[in-house]
Amino acid sequence: MTRHDPGNVPGSDSGSDSGRDSGCDSGQDTRSASSSPGRMLYPARSTWRSPAGAREFGLALLLAGIVGVVGFCDPVFLSGVVWRDILVRCAPAIIVSCGVMIVVVLGEIDISVGSMMALLAALLGKTISSHELQWSSWAGIPLVLLSGAAIGCVTGVVVTVGRVPSIIASLGMLTLLRGFATLAMGGKNIDGLPDAVVQASKTGWLGVPIGPWTALLVVLATYFLLTRTAIGVRIYATGSHSDSAGYAGLPVRGLRVFAFCYAGFLTAVATVVDVPRLPKIEAGIGNELELFVITSVVLGGVSISGGRGRLSGVVLAVVLLTLVRPVLTFLNVGESAEKWTKAIHGLFILLAVISDRFSATMDQRRES
Amino acid sequence: MNGSSGWRRIAMSQEMILAVILAGLLAVASWLMPRFLEWQGQLNLSRQLWETALISMGMTLVIIAGGIDLSVGAIMGLCAIAFGICHQFTESVGWASAACLLTGIGCGACNGGLIAATGVHPLIVTLATMAAFRGMAEGISQGESYSRFGEDFARVFASQGPFGIAVGGWITVTLAIVLAVVLSQTRWGRYLRAVGGNERAAQFAGVPVERLKFTLYLGMGLLSACATLIYVARFDTAKADAGRGMELEVITAVVLGGTSVFGGSGQIRGTVLGLLLIHETRLFASRYWRIDELRQIVIGCLLIGAVAAYQAVRKSKV
Repeated sequence: MTRHDPGNVPGSDSGSDSGRDSGCDSGQDTRSASSSPGRMLYPARSTWRSPAGAREFGLALLLAGIVGVVGFCDPVFLSGVVWRDILVRCAPAIIVSCGVMIVVVLGEIDISVGSMMALLAALLGKTISSHELQWSSWAGIPLVLLSGAAIGCVTGVVVTVGRVPSIIASLGMLTLLRGFATLAMGGKNIDGLPDAVVQASKTGWLGVPIGPWTALLVVLATYFLLTRTAIGVRIYATGSHSDSAGYAGLPVRGLRVFAFCYAGFLTAVATVVDVPRLPKIEAGIGNELELFVITSVVLGGVSISGGRGRLSGVVLAVVLLTLVRPVLTFLNVGESAEKWTKAIHGLFILLAVISDRFSATMDQRRES
Repeated sequence: MNGSSGWRRIAMSQEMILAVILAGLLAVASWLMPRFLEWQGQLNLSRQLWETALISMGMTLVIIAGGIDLSVGAIMGLCAIAFGICHQFTESVGWASAACLLTGIGCGACNGGLIAATGVHPLIVTLATMAAFRGMAEGISQGESYSRFGEDFARVFASQGPFGIAVGGWITVTLAIVLAVVLSQTRWGRYLRAVGGNERAAQFAGVPVERLKFTLYLGMGLLSACATLIYVARFDTAKADAGRGMELEVITAVVLGGTSVFGGSGQIRGTVLGLLLIHETRLFASRYWRIDELRQIVIGCLLIGAVAAYQAVRKSKV
């Protein structure tokens, strides 16, 4: 992560009255600034001593440790083929997490992404498959991307105009979209996607499929959005206290609709780059994706009540969680050790929760 | 509310909106399918409802207290595995049931202890334990399923009680009444609403917040274990994927029943209405259209529509 002083507010041209205010904070040390609930900027300095950076540091350390140990036991684990596979598996979750992370930073939540992916995959298959409508990919893929943004927009409008709490709105969408997806598939599977699309998602460019490349692009774009634009500052401001942000004249509702829209759009992007890799499109696609993504966002150190959290932590968390299954296979612990994957995921979050609590108590003691 | 009568308050209440929707649905259903409302048929089909209903009652209290429990489905999976393994070794349904209940209590205590001790949001703690419990169930069972628990066990909850309602149904009804009384008539009920309304204020007012939370999540573990027993008896199999998706089904019912996800307000009778509405919608969709997917679409729309309607009503009151 780049370092920038909290005083140098990202994107401080138009909407950053809030940013200029917090320029006064830059005299304080990062720890106390970021532990105060009103802090609204992208938490900047990532030293291991600051609680903001501690999560990334811990995750990176854990990741390096695991890779080191497994690589030591079985050098094949460090080969390019294995890492290519791991990256391909991470890619859709990373792409979707970028969108959901913004929603969570705003203090909302979106648990509808799994079903949305199923519906969008059905749409993709129905339009461009050679056994179905046989549209050109140039028409089908933009349609899927637009539909993703549109569905996200609907959730956003339900949350803002309908004033339905986002956990309920997206729970409703989760049920509803899964229903539409199964209905659209009609109990059958779809195959026969155009070769170019399948090839891109399997081989891609420079030996790495299109998924990881897209994920890289999305991460960079989201990082830029959060740290270098007015929208990013406004998102953190709204997430840390939406009433104050509203009084300060920020378009709170517009930001919420934008965040859900962005999450929907990224879900569509993940669908387009990842689904053609599968042998066939079925109604169960994206099952429990929302849980994996929320788990990553929480493990990555994003506060569930909004206003705090960094993209680097989320990306590290996705990689760490995806790594569990291949590592269990490589360690050869025993017959189908993979079944313990979920238990280890749960353990990671519990560890994160407890370590956070522990460091918070230590901080309090030091301050008092 | 400016001088409006009590009637208007009743007519605008969330339970009333739900009751009207439910009555409308039943009227349309019995008009389209004259046999839809037959008592015996409804009773037989109500069996699908018991497990969800049991957990929903507890979840209502948890959500009123400002919490949430995502791990109920995973606890069911772990309890089912405990039941299956214990039955394999002891060949006794009694010991297996005891193991199942103990596992549930253990899981609940784990949730409650973590939430009370760390003060971390229950959404995060139970998200973690959800993955952990389900993963343990999958890891221990290695995908195996246990079955053949004997005819007697299958009949325990399905045998007829008074009014033709089976024992499982009576357990659910009793629990609903007991919890409704606890919520509206006892000190603990007021404590729950206080904690849900403002936890800090409740703490300063002398409410034993941590003990209350621990008890709530412990109770959820126990209820999930009871639901597992009914589930295992109904299907005569115990697998790691028992209760998958249960948490969302339960939360849907509770929220549809008018309980606020932010805590502080809600009623058991609302949850009962929510459960019945989902159940009847499911029956109607699968029997009239014969397309099961439609029920998901209808329930999703109902959930969003009903909560939007409650919000509009709340706004007009202010």
